[in-house]
Amino acid sequence: MVSTNERKSWETFVRRPGDLREGAELPLALRDLNPGRKKYSVRHVVATVSRNPEEMPHVDTLFVRTVVGVLLPETWGITILRDLPIEVPGKPYHDFFASLKAAARDGDKT
Amino acid sequence: MFDDTREFIEALRASGDLVEVEKEVSWDLELGAISRLACEKDGPAIWFKRIADYPDDITVLVNPMATWRRVAMAFGLAPDASIKDIYREYEKREGKLIPPVTVERGPCHEVVRRGSEVDLFDLPAPMLHEGDGGRYLGTWDLVVSRDPASQWVNWGTYRFMLYDSSHLTGFPRPTSHLGKMFQDYYVPRGEPMPIAIVIGADPLSHFAASATFHLGGDEAGLAGGLRGEPVDLVRCRTSDLLVPACAEIVIEGEVLPDRVGLEGPYGEYPGYRTGEMGNGILFRATAITHRKHPIFTVDATGYKDDSSTVTALSGALAIQKRLERHGVPVVDVYMPPEGAVHLAIVAVQYGGKEVARNILETLTSRRALISKIFMVEADIDIFDMGKVLHAFSTKCHPAHGVHVIHYEGRANTLTPCYSQGERVAQKGATVLFDCTWPGEWSREWETPVKATFDSIYSESVRRKVLERWRDYGFDK
Repeated sequence: MVSTNERKSWETFVRRPGDLREGAELPLALRDLNPGRKKYSVRHVVATVSRNPEEMPHVDTLFVRTVVGVLLPETWGITILRDLPIEVPGKPYHDFFASLKAAARDGDKT
Repeated sequence: MFDDTREFIEALRASGDLVEVEKEVSWDLELGAISRLACEKDGPAIWFKRIADYPDDITVLVNPMATWRRVAMAFGLAPDASIKDIYREYEKREGKLIPPVTVERGPCHEVVRRGSEVDLFDLPAPMLHEGDGGRYLGTWDLVVSRDPASQWVNWGTYRFMLYDSSHLTGFPRPTSHLGKMFQDYYVPRGEPMPIAIVIGADPLSHFAASATFHLGGDEAGLAGGLRGEPVDLVRCRTSDLLVPACAEIVIEGEVLPDRVGLEGPYGEYPGYRTGEMGNGILFRATAITHRKHPIFTVDATGYKDDSSTVTALSGALAIQKRLERHGVPVVDVYMPPEGAVHLAIVAVQYGGKEVARNILETLTSRRALISKIFMVEADIDIFDMGKVLHAFSTKCHPAHGVHVIHYEGRANTLTPCYSQGERVAQKGATVLFDCTWPGEWSREWETPVKATFDSIYSESVRRKVLERWRDYGFDK
């Protein structure tokens, strides 16, 4: 587990409403919402998410934006399981999310 | 002519076209909101002197050329020069390329940081619009790249998003010159493409980089031609690329051929944030060099931003030349700032179906950035949108006067009216509204007679009225 007792705030962007699934290990690009000069820096992770963060005292907070940048009203809980490389193997101008998913899968095999 | 951003700032200050903000502002949306509102009010350029979280020795200049006054000044014209005069001046200068000169040293290397010393968060890249994918630093930049096969050097203006301390993601469109060079040469070979992101060069070098210029064109030579003297270039510290020596900041690095990151979404020049996300490129920085007390330049991208003057002006003249080469009886072309580089007004000697088709095919054959065209007759002042709208409203036949061409693989993915599916397939269309009278109509018997002051009265009547205008009791 990479998450600590200090509750942090993250944000992620999704293409479609069903892209965040509870219980599953999801590859995500998170951006750091914590104040300071490095706010909005990006981190690639594998994480689990929950719709009921208040029931999980030690998880971080996740805000979700749509593909056009609209902030969704629901706040999620997130537990970061592991980091993925910042340079994700993949083809330029092709779907990043497919590449991130493949990177998470390949990481599981090693 | 201005040799750097600092000289241009002095001129803007002297003419009253600059506001200097001494109060500390946040890079996180506050700077963006101020700058956006200034654009929408046709306001002055803004020089932010104190940015929260950053030392006072780095400042931010926003919207350097977002009004015609500032474009005129960049060209050395009077600030109140007409749009038509600015067009004619650009036309006169852009045909005479002056190659750049390589120099040994330049102020852009006063401070050099390489390797582990590089931290892109040292640059006060603003979060411009709420909900953007990140902080953007390539909004008023000049990106240098080279095609090893032909030795062609391209300058372009491309957006880049701050990712982590040493990475940016970007979206030079796949059909852009940089995008094409990267995909045609570097990606197939698996080689990283060296680029240099230049921030805060002299104004006409930025103009040349933003200009609509032909594939293989020498923008550095164009910048020299526009300036009337060569641009001094200096070699990068971690690559062989040459950059303007007087630039404020240069980020050196490479675009990776087999690695990606998440880019976007971003509120782009059409004035909307479309769902363009996750289809870009990943850049790894190798060095940051800058002048002492660097000035970070920004375009508050959106409605009436710098592209609405700079890109529109060069785009209009590029369109005119292309149409001339393809036999269109074109007289003049204008792209109004409010049209967000999506709308062109084309004045022709005569219109009709064949001319309309020729225009549509010519302007959509490689990449189709323009989606709306008004074709008008030469008697319409195309720089007066009221006159254009009048011609459209009255002369365009609602059925026979509308011509559409469809295409796939070359549409402008930033055009807001396209669906997400169309964006992915780069599928789109361009419509031309023929606002000319049908050629087969008899001028004596069928063509309606224009009943305006300039056209329906004899010269003697007009002269008499104009001479006595104030005597009738009118002020002006």
